[in-house]
Amino acid sequence: MTNFLVIENINAAYGDIQTLWDVSLQVKQGEIVALIGPNGAGKTTLMRLIAGLHKPMSGTVHLADVPLHALPAYDIAKQGVILVPEGRRLFGGMTVLDNLELGAYSRRAREARFKTMARVFELFPILEERQRQYANTMSGGQQQMLAIGRAMMGLPKLLMLDEPSLGLAPLIVENIFEIIKLMNDQGVTIFLVEQNARKALELANRAYILEQGRVVGTGTGRELLQNDEVRQAYLGLAPAAVK
Amino acid sequence: MSIATFLQTLVFGLFTGGIYGVAAIGLALVFGVMKMLNIAHGELVMLGGYVSFWVFSAYGMDPFISLLIVIPALFILGLILDRSVYRHIVRLLGEEKIKNSMLVSFGLTLVLQNLAQWLFTADERSIQVAYAGDGFNIFGVLLPYTRLATLAIALVAILGLNYFLHKTYPGKAILATAEDFESAELAGININRIYMMTFALGASLAAIAGTFVTVTYGLSPSIGIIWTLKALIVIVLAGTGSILGAFPAGILLGVVEALSGAFVNPSYREVIGLVIFILVLIVRPQGLFARR
Amino acid sequence: MKTTLQSKSASRFLAWAGLILLVLFALYYPKSVDKQNIWNLFFLICLQITLGQSWNILGGFAGQTSLGHAAFFGIGALVTRTLWLNGQPFLLAFALGGLTSVVFALVIGLPTFRLRGAYFAIGTLGVAEVMRITVGQNVPYISTMPGLMIANYDLPARYHLALGLAIATVATAYLLLRSPWSLGILAVREDEEAAQATGVHVLRHKLLALALSSLFTGLAGGTFAYQQISYYPSAPFSPAWTFDALLITFIGGQGTLMGPVIGAIFFVVVREKLSVNLVDVHQVIFGILFILIVLIFPGGLVEAWERLKKLIFRKEEKHVPISQ
Repeated sequence: MTNFLVIENINAAYGDIQTLWDVSLQVKQGEIVALIGPNGAGKTTLMRLIAGLHKPMSGTVHLADVPLHALPAYDIAKQGVILVPEGRRLFGGMTVLDNLELGAYSRRAREARFKTMARVFELFPILEERQRQYANTMSGGQQQMLAIGRAMMGLPKLLMLDEPSLGLAPLIVENIFEIIKLMNDQGVTIFLVEQNARKALELANRAYILEQGRVVGTGTGRELLQNDEVRQAYLGLAPAAVK
Repeated sequence: MSIATFLQTLVFGLFTGGIYGVAAIGLALVFGVMKMLNIAHGELVMLGGYVSFWVFSAYGMDPFISLLIVIPALFILGLILDRSVYRHIVRLLGEEKIKNSMLVSFGLTLVLQNLAQWLFTADERSIQVAYAGDGFNIFGVLLPYTRLATLAIALVAILGLNYFLHKTYPGKAILATAEDFESAELAGININRIYMMTFALGASLAAIAGTFVTVTYGLSPSIGIIWTLKALIVIVLAGTGSILGAFPAGILLGVVEALSGAFVNPSYREVIGLVIFILVLIVRPQGLFARR
Repeated sequence: MKTTLQSKSASRFLAWAGLILLVLFALYYPKSVDKQNIWNLFFLICLQITLGQSWNILGGFAGQTSLGHAAFFGIGALVTRTLWLNGQPFLLAFALGGLTSVVFALVIGLPTFRLRGAYFAIGTLGVAEVMRITVGQNVPYISTMPGLMIANYDLPARYHLALGLAIATVATAYLLLRSPWSLGILAVREDEEAAQATGVHVLRHKLLALALSSLFTGLAGGTFAYQQISYYPSAPFSPAWTFDALLITFIGGQGTLMGPVIGAIFFVVVREKLSVNLVDVHQVIFGILFILIVLIFPGGLVEAWERLKKLIFRKEEKHVPISQ
């Protein structure tokens, strides 16, 4: 598998405070890669930076050799890197249909929007049911589905999700993760930030650990699930049984 | 007060309110989407008025028809102003953005006002159409053609804007940007272009108001600040979160002013609006029509 | 170490010397030339220094952008003129004009200070316009000095009053910056919420700034009323006075001590030089300059001067050995 998303030596700051230190990681095409770590480690900062909402002090971000770090966020989205931000961030005063439509703003996506919307409704039937409902009147789980649906409308090559399970009931979280797996099966590369480290590691092919703005560890999902330190720090578990 | 007089006052309040509404909605659009306070908005109204005046005096074109020229002219001016001045401010955040947009547009008022003075002199201008005094007379209430046309076009403009914002792709993109510009960016919406279009659209709406002002009242380079204040009063009444609510708020202001002018000394009409404005600011800053 | 201290106190000494020279110049030059237009020019400069500096105290130091300062100017003028032309001794009328302005400011300040930034600005604009229209309605007739007063008109006296007021305003700003309140006021400007959180009584500091600001603006109005032979009572309520104060302060350098002084001198002199046409070309220039300063060069002329000094004196500093 080829390297798809390549992040090299990213340093970032908010004002005078540095938040990311020399962060490097790669996501290969077709993979699911997770980013775990404690609160305030800089995971969201990194996501926002890749998506273009935040500019790095130094370092580069490439998607299949196309440099992203200097592009505005809307051009990055057009390149196929689509972020589902933390907290959903829907257009609450607009309908489900409008939200989905707006997800397909680039020309490429707009041409295919009817087909894409049909696929979104297939995956999330509840959205079809409530398509004329205002987004801010829906439940948390439904909003998350809408957020993912909206991202899908942009025909992502790389889909990034920031804390998709935040504030959702376990059953709904299951549902969402199933759908993420399904999308990956259909060819979408996934880069995922998750508080729920266990779920993330179970789902992911590989993962990185971010602590205080630095990458402190990496490995396959299974490796990290077995790793004693990871188990203790992020999974709240006792050391793994002897393999 | 007789019924006829009351109705007449009410009707004129409606007509005036229509102008207030159109004047305000451009500013509401810019404030709602770009989160900037353009104090030079009244100057855009004034310039729009001057374009219609110029077209009228040079070519004899009916002011309502001249809108076909006035609107694009101010649209282009809006584009120029956004590209040259406002785009440096629109990327700031929160308080700083509002404060800087206020200051910058204050500088623009000086430039635009004196530009108009240079081009047109400080003399008061107005447009006297052939049918100026004529109108319908229904149950003793006079409905002048010019005023009717003003209100009718205002309604058309507002309905058009409503359709554009809620039913077309670019319009929805504008509303989305107003709600959450980061999410809009993440969806691939070029918000720089959105901002430019929004400002130009606001200028066009100001231009329409300007034409109405020239026909109804008269024009001089110094009226800018008066119309900026009027627009601000209406926006505060409507609530700063509401864009289209500016139009009914404008109508309300017009009616309130007209009716209060009938009961109190008419020269205090202006003051009534300002006092209501200040009271609403202090007591209910989110506006009378606020949804949140 | 010694050298650095020397250069610091050296530049301090130069600054004070420069200021004293400026004041002496302001005192003696108009008298020696004794031309009416020079007296008037210098009068105007002093008036604008007062207006700019007093706006600066509220807008530059405390960060509260007021667009309604014309109201204070107008009230000061109205009260002073009315009392004085009705037989009261001028100084009493003058003082009462300033005082009324302060009382008015505090009365509207208490409710409006709840408003954030932009709302405060447009609120004050609204108040000023209400005042202008109301006064225009109730006192529409031109106010002219009685013949005897015109005959005894002492222009130098007017100028000295304006000069004294300008010096007092700048001195007050200087003392304010050295007072225990300065930290609180500047903190309010930087971040109101943070200031509140660290225990700064935000409202009290805002009101202090407002009181001082309105006092001097009101007194400036009184000075205006003293100087004008005839004018419309609503004229000092015109928003142009507020805008002039803003232009002066920003072009000079808002939030600095000498900004309004430099800005006023620049403003009045340039305006005089360019006021040859009917067109107010100077207004366009000031407008563009103002925009450039807000966008690119917020430090104004004061910062330009500081940078120039660094450029000039850096060469000399190179030769100064740094001991220890």
